[in-house]
Amino acid sequence: MKTDPVSKLGIVSAYVFLGFVSLLTLFPFWYEIVASFSSSRAITSGEVFLWPVEFNTVAYQRLFDDGQLIMAMGNTVLVTVAGTLFNMVMTILAAYPLSRKRLVGRSWLLMLITFTMLFVAGLIPNFILIKSLGLMNSYWAVWLPGLISTYNMFVMKTFMEGLPGEIEESASIDGAGDWRILLQIYLPLCKPILAALSLFYAVSWWNSYFNVMLYVTKSTKLTVMVKLYQMVSAVDSNLLNSMNGNEGLEQVLLTPEALKAAAVVIVVTPILCVYPFLQKHFVKGVLIGSVKG
Amino acid sequence: MSGQSVWSRVIRDKHLYLMLLPVILFYFLFKYVPIVGEIIAFKNYRFADGIFGSQWVGLKHFQMIFQSSDFWRILRNTLVLNLYSLVFGFPVPIILALLLNEVRRNWYKRIVQNMLYIPHFMSWAVLGTIVVAALSPSTGIVNLLLKNLTGGETIYFMADSFWWPIAYTISGIWREAGWGTILYLAAMASIDPQLYEAAKIDGASKLRQMWHVTLPGIRGTIAILLILRMGQMMDVGLEQTLVLQNNSVLDVADVISTYVYRVGLQNMNYSYTTAIGLFQSVVSVILVLTVNRSIRLFGERGLW
Repeated sequence: MKTDPVSKLGIVSAYVFLGFVSLLTLFPFWYEIVASFSSSRAITSGEVFLWPVEFNTVAYQRLFDDGQLIMAMGNTVLVTVAGTLFNMVMTILAAYPLSRKRLVGRSWLLMLITFTMLFVAGLIPNFILIKSLGLMNSYWAVWLPGLISTYNMFVMKTFMEGLPGEIEESASIDGAGDWRILLQIYLPLCKPILAALSLFYAVSWWNSYFNVMLYVTKSTKLTVMVKLYQMVSAVDSNLLNSMNGNEGLEQVLLTPEALKAAAVVIVVTPILCVYPFLQKHFVKGVLIGSVKG
Repeated sequence: MSGQSVWSRVIRDKHLYLMLLPVILFYFLFKYVPIVGEIIAFKNYRFADGIFGSQWVGLKHFQMIFQSSDFWRILRNTLVLNLYSLVFGFPVPIILALLLNEVRRNWYKRIVQNMLYIPHFMSWAVLGTIVVAALSPSTGIVNLLLKNLTGGETIYFMADSFWWPIAYTISGIWREAGWGTILYLAAMASIDPQLYEAAKIDGASKLRQMWHVTLPGIRGTIAILLILRMGQMMDVGLEQTLVLQNNSVLDVADVISTYVYRVGLQNMNYSYTTAIGLFQSVVSVILVLTVNRSIRLFGERGLW
């Protein structure tokens, strides 16, 4: 079948448009990289666009010398790794029994859980709860309320329901108990969904800042995202002063802009490094999630 | 099976219940206890007295809400910002997916997709930093470009009550548009190719095929995403608003969630802002139920 010239033109412009939009999406990140390596003079006079002008690494040196951002990075890794581990254990413990149709009271439990997706208690009652439990200034205040994402749990439950029931039957005839069936049979079969969900959980821990800001005030326990947020909201001159040491040369080279840009680059790099390897799991996760259960 | 009593079935499945024990504890303590905690909206909560010891005041806080001009301002801002994101943001992934669906070169399609959803994996702390920096009047790239290209005036984007909502909306689209296309593309992939064949034989152009085959084919997906989106109508993302907000634009940028955070937590007006939060939650539930029902009336499968 021959294509008429009009739709051929349409297709070409779709290609061009999509390419343009995706470059536009990424440009802000590229610009942060460029700005972080440029001199203060070049940034303020508007010479910086696609490539660093008057290349230097002062902003990075300052951030690494200061040490706070690196320490916060360590905290973020701790919050992310432990948080994801807790999430996965709890999500599995919820999804497996709830996917068993023979469970007495199953529909009641599901209803009670679904209700919490629909009706969410506000910020203040949650805050009072954490405070009453004496969890302030501990990462438990961040981990515990986020142990299960109900949506993710339902995704896993739906996935488990989709596995053939005969597997469980034959295993239980062979004398395997529920724990054995879960650990040795179901979990290996659930690998794709386990991968996708742990990534979802991990990314959201890595990125979270509000709950940490709310419950953790000790400066040595802050995470990178909170540090970054504080840098944005700090008045620019205070930012430079607070990162003490004002030698003449650096003052010329360094602006709060370059400092923030460098901080953004440092925080984003880990995600961008793993992204190419992980993105297919993400997509798989979204697609499994969209199959309604 | 039918001969067994309920009790013996519970005993048989005791290990399943054992697994559920921490789960039930979690939902009880961290989901239901805070819901019970909402009663402080009807009390004068003082930390020393505790939730149950504090004094009842009936609907006093709700009366205060509806009489305060603050409340109408944050309600309006919440709805307006949401409406912008809905009207301008909701169609974007659909359009991107329609275009991507026409791309036959798979490597190109994959690269474009992967680039489009990168911002979804970034924290608002990161994206907000970038937006604020890019729009800065003195050093921001946008103002520098404007100045170089048009020689125009410097615009204080983030401090201007006209530009702030626009920056807010666009930054939201920037983060979520690419992510949304995944679902639509998947929905499009499941459309029967014979429909396209038939349309082609009838002489339908690409555009007409999109309109008469592709769009109807993803109607169900659109409906479900719309319901989910409506549930958030009363809730403007706290993290996004907080990083983009500053004192000079509070008249357009202050929304329910940031107000509750600022006035409730920072100024310790616990009961008053809990009442606002409760109002917000109740309206959200009503919205989801209503939209779900009306979508079912139109013959689409709703959420339930």
